Amino acid sequence: MKMIIGGAYQGKIRCACEYFGFRESEMVNGSICDFEEVFAARCIKSYHKLISRLLAEGVDPVAFTEKLCEANKDVVIIMDEIGCGIVPVEKAERLRREATGRCGCIIAEKSDTVIRVICGIPSFIKGAPPQV
Amino acid sequence: MVIGMITLVTGGTRCGKAKYAESVLDSFEGRKYCIATMGHSGDEAGGVIARHYMLCKDKNFIALNQPRDIGASRIEEGCGVILECLDLLCLNEMYLGADSAADRIIGGIKKLAEKAAELVIVTNEVGSDGINYSHDTMNFIRQVAELNSRIAVFADNVIECVYGIPIVRKGVLR
Repeated sequence: MKMIIGGAYQGKIRCACEYFGFRESEMVNGSICDFEEVFAARCIKSYHKLISRLLAEGVDPVAFTEKLCEANKDVVIIMDEIGCGIVPVEKAERLRREATGRCGCIIAEKSDTVIRVICGIPSFIKGAPPQV
Repeated sequence: MVIGMITLVTGGTRCGKAKYAESVLDSFEGRKYCIATMGHSGDEAGGVIARHYMLCKDKNFIALNQPRDIGASRIEEGCGVILECLDLLCLNEMYLGADSAADRIIGGIKKLAEKAAELVIVTNEVGSDGINYSHDTMNFIRQVAELNSRIAVFADNVIECVYGIPIVRKGVLR
């Protein structure tokens, strides 16, 4: 399992395409996909959006993520880092950030490679670049 | 065309970026400029710009303020330049036409780099709080990120500051 993180619009998708040979069109989009789709996906983008949607539907995202990591061990998961800035006053927003952080930690733990992208530049914060 | 050394400095708010940018030019022998990008409108603008000029004078920088059209900054050949900051420049340029702001800024920065021997660009990480802002604000976040990525491609050095600690993302620590 592999994970690509970073702030919004940093070049995470391009990084996934370059390192793992995906096309963006074949990625499952966490903003709009059916929840069940992720279990067979090769690459999921906007996983942080999926977490928001799970919460909105009353599904526990932590249990969901654990199940995903168990069922789809070779998936590449792309998600935004969202934990910076002010802790939101609104409770639902707070819960969303917490859930996203917890899920991120689970995915990072299960991943052999974690790449953080900033200014379009990937840093391997866990594991090493794939051998070409 | 000779392009000077370009260093992009990024990080969150108050992470020590400006201080690091100054340190890059510490041993620079030639004329040094610090170009701010503040607009002239609003109650607080005058005071902030005056403060910029005062601080620069203390540090032996020539202060300029160029809210837009950064390539037209009046600098001399072979100088050292700090441009701070890119996100504000982006915001100002977006008022002139949101979708072409990044292109105009990249063009301007390349012009600066043709004149400056050493160009240090201070930018900002604005896309890591996970908040879904209005369409216009999301467009701003996207444009700043795009600018950062595009500049990182031709910059010699890219440095991320974390609580005052500079981390090399490309090139070397200066």
